[in-house]
Order: sequence, then structure tokens, then C-alpha cells
Amino acid sequence: MKVVSRRDRIDAAGGLVVFVVHDEPDLVREVMLDGVEEVPFPVVVDLERSAYERWGLQRVPWWRIWLDPKTWKQYVQLLAGGERVRGAGEDTQQLGGDFVVAPGGELVYSRPQRRDDRPPAGLLVEQLESAAG
Amino acid sequence: MPDAPRAGDTAPSLSGPTLSGAGFELSDHRERPVIVSFLRHAG
Repeated sequence: MKVVSRRDRIDAAGGLVVFVVHDEPDLVREVMLDGVEEVPFPVVVDLERSAYERWGLQRVPWWRIWLDPKTWKQYVQLLAGGERVRGAGEDTQQLGGDFVVAPGGELVYSRPQRRDDRPPAGLLVEQLESAAG
Repeated sequence: MPDAPRAGDTAPSLSGPTLSGAGFELSDHRERPVIVSFLRHAG
């Protein structure tokens, strides 16, 4: 949710961010929103994962994530940067993804996850600003 | 399961309840750019 810190730029572009989660709301509030009073953007709860399926986001075997050195490298970098280890959701095999939709409904950016990776928040905001014209 | 949509494709539909209890419909926001971020898991 690092993109939330770019809210000024998102608002200036007339844009919106929507997060989609597949965990139970209580778990999301407890783990994901720990210390966050309010997320300024909608968080859609997709317990059935129908949206994940419709957007082609796969589940992968655990070893594809946890035996990937890049996953561990990311965790080390996060911890070195002051992040703390938090509990994970119930299903760690579901992959996510990031997309930018232009006015009118065309996708201008698509990045489904292949492992536990995400594009930089700044890149997503740049794509959004570009789509806004 | 379909392949993930690519840049240039029309965005698939997205709707559902939100944490705040309201509903969300992506098509209600067709006049503005939207970042859609599917999270892998809570945590």
C-alpha cells in the first residue's frame, strides 16, 4: 500500500486507487492495516477470489515463492529498511498484480505477479498520471 | 482461468463490497484513471 503515500499526485491527476484483498476483513484490518487509521481509497474484499480469477491472477505452489532467492532478498531489504515481520494471511499461494486503467476502461499498464514482487509505487503513479493526460 | 489482461485490453470488470461496508464498481469510475492493486495476502 505504499502508493497511498503518493495520494497528492493521485488526487492531482484526478485518479483513484482501489485495492483488492482476498482475506477476511478482520484479518485485513488486524494485519494489513495495523497502525493505519483509515485507507483513503476503497479496499474491495473478494473472498471468493472471483475478481482474482477474472483478472488472470494465479495461485502458485509454495516453493515457487519461498524457494525463490528474490523473495528472501526482498524481505531482507524490507527488514533492513525498518519494516517488521508481520503475520501472513491464510493463503500465501495466491498471487496479486497491479494494473492501471485509463479513462474509458483501457488498460495502460499490466503487471500480474509471477512471484512475491511488485512494481515501485512511483511507477504506478507515473502510469496513472500519463493516463490522465 | 483466463490469462491476465495486457496493456491495450479492456479492463475486466471489478465489483464487490469494501472494508468500509460500501460497494465498489470499477465501471462507475470510467471518467478517471484508476490503479487497481490486487494484494497477494494480508501481511
